[in-house]
Amino acid sequence: MDDAMTSPALRVLVVEDEVLIALELECLLDELGHDVVGVAGSSAEAIALGLSTAPDVAFVDIHLVDGPTGVEVARALSADPHTTVVFMTANAKRIPDDFAGAMGVIAKPYSERVVAGALRYVADLRAGRAATIEGLDGFRLAIRDGVEPRYLSEG
Amino acid sequence: MTHRDPPAAGPLKLGIDAGAFVAAFTASPTPMVLTDPRLADNPIIWANDAFLALTGYAWEDLDGRNCRMLQGADTDPRAVRRLGEAVRAGRPIEIELVNYRKDGTSFWNGMTVAPVRDATGRIVHFYSAQADMTGKYRHEVAMRDANDELERRVAEQTADLRAALEQKTALLHEVDHRVKNNLQVISSLMLLKARRTPRGEVRDALQGMAERVGALSTVHRMLYSTGDVTRFDLREFAEDFVSELVAGIDNERTAVSAEIDSIAVSAAMAAPLALMLHELATNAVRHAFPDSRAGRITITAQRSDEGLRMLIQDDGIGLAGGKPNPAGFGRSLVEMVVRQLRGVIVWSDVAPGTRVEITVPLDAVSLRTGAERAAEAEWTTR
Repeated sequence: MDDAMTSPALRVLVVEDEVLIALELECLLDELGHDVVGVAGSSAEAIALGLSTAPDVAFVDIHLVDGPTGVEVARALSADPHTTVVFMTANAKRIPDDFAGAMGVIAKPYSERVVAGALRYVADLRAGRAATIEGLDGFRLAIRDGVEPRYLSEG
Repeated sequence: MTHRDPPAAGPLKLGIDAGAFVAAFTASPTPMVLTDPRLADNPIIWANDAFLALTGYAWEDLDGRNCRMLQGADTDPRAVRRLGEAVRAGRPIEIELVNYRKDGTSFWNGMTVAPVRDATGRIVHFYSAQADMTGKYRHEVAMRDANDELERRVAEQTADLRAALEQKTALLHEVDHRVKNNLQVISSLMLLKARRTPRGEVRDALQGMAERVGALSTVHRMLYSTGDVTRFDLREFAEDFVSELVAGIDNERTAVSAEIDSIAVSAAMAAPLALMLHELATNAVRHAFPDSRAGRITITAQRSDEGLRMLIQDDGIGLAGGKPNPAGFGRSLVEMVVRQLRGVIVWSDVAPGTRVEITVPLDAVSLRTGAERAAEAEWTTR
């Protein structure tokens, strides 16, 4: 993937209780040239790993081993301004209006392309480059400062 | 009658004397009573038999007493006040209030009370006629009770229905969430296995299957995200689908263009259509342009009189030019799906390239109008 060459590797925390999804996501992130710093299945684990690894990006599922605690996890992880939180869920309706500090949401079922695109967007933002979200349906940004959520396919 | 016309004057002229009135009033089935405001405390001075029957009192019990003796605990003091004011002002009044019989039972007494004046205009009597309104009141109360009961039942049922709807909505969200999650798990499983499989036919097959699951996943994601769970927009799907397709092509020589009208199709049709489009387009990408051949794939879909008309065309090597594929899975999958949709598919060599034309009839759900859809959304969105 070309963006893996031009962007520095991102350190990613995966918060997902479904082992198979987590494992495949790890493989994909590895393939895209990013480092997975940890995989957590529960909220306590996720928050502890967040503190110990200070990831660049955290992909957070809403439903974890201990219930719909992904929202709390997002709030805790996004308290560190260094960490960009992105929800990754089939249950986007549970995301609060303020997105619990998360940047956006990747809707499950997602495609590899959308995950790659979302990470490229984050990397571009972090590098201060012009970041485009065009052509990525299934990735939606949080509402910020009263601005309507924009679907990536709408640019 | 007013005091300007002395009461007895008319009838007397007709030759009817006062005794005839007394006889008539005494025998009347309407309870009547006469009081004398010139005496202390405006006492009863005459009552007819009907009045005695209504109240259960003997004449001796009533003689010389004020009518308030009939009032009791349930008599509305406001009604009593109004009655008193009218009497003091010498105004006639119609009023209903609770009175009590001698035996203590109560009844609704509907009465008219009117002053009787003498030739000089002075009030000499109050005359009152009564009617037992208890039946009417009982009826009113029964009606009110029935109404209250009905309202209570309607409220109860509405609450039940609302609770049932909330439960159903929660269940729908839960199922929706599970379906999506499971699709992600299935896709992850296949991709994991593919990653651990050496390059070759098996790996390609696994990846191909994961892509098919991906096409179905896109449908599911779109179906339930729009709020209308019964239909989805083919164009919206196609945009996403073409992006995926282009991302999967690792060369610059193949161009893909799509012209898909905004067509609402039913949920039942969505998955087969998505699978079919995916199959035909990826087939073209994989097989139409061997040996670094450059080319273009166009996908169009329009509403027509017969239903939905789709065209997938490439300028590649054509059907005859391709290597014969004994399994031919992609092609038979497409034909199965078209049959399921009761459509017609025509494959043709167009030199250069392959052209596949599919026509499928739209089902009742797909054909519903916007107004019907809006009416339904009222129900489905809480």
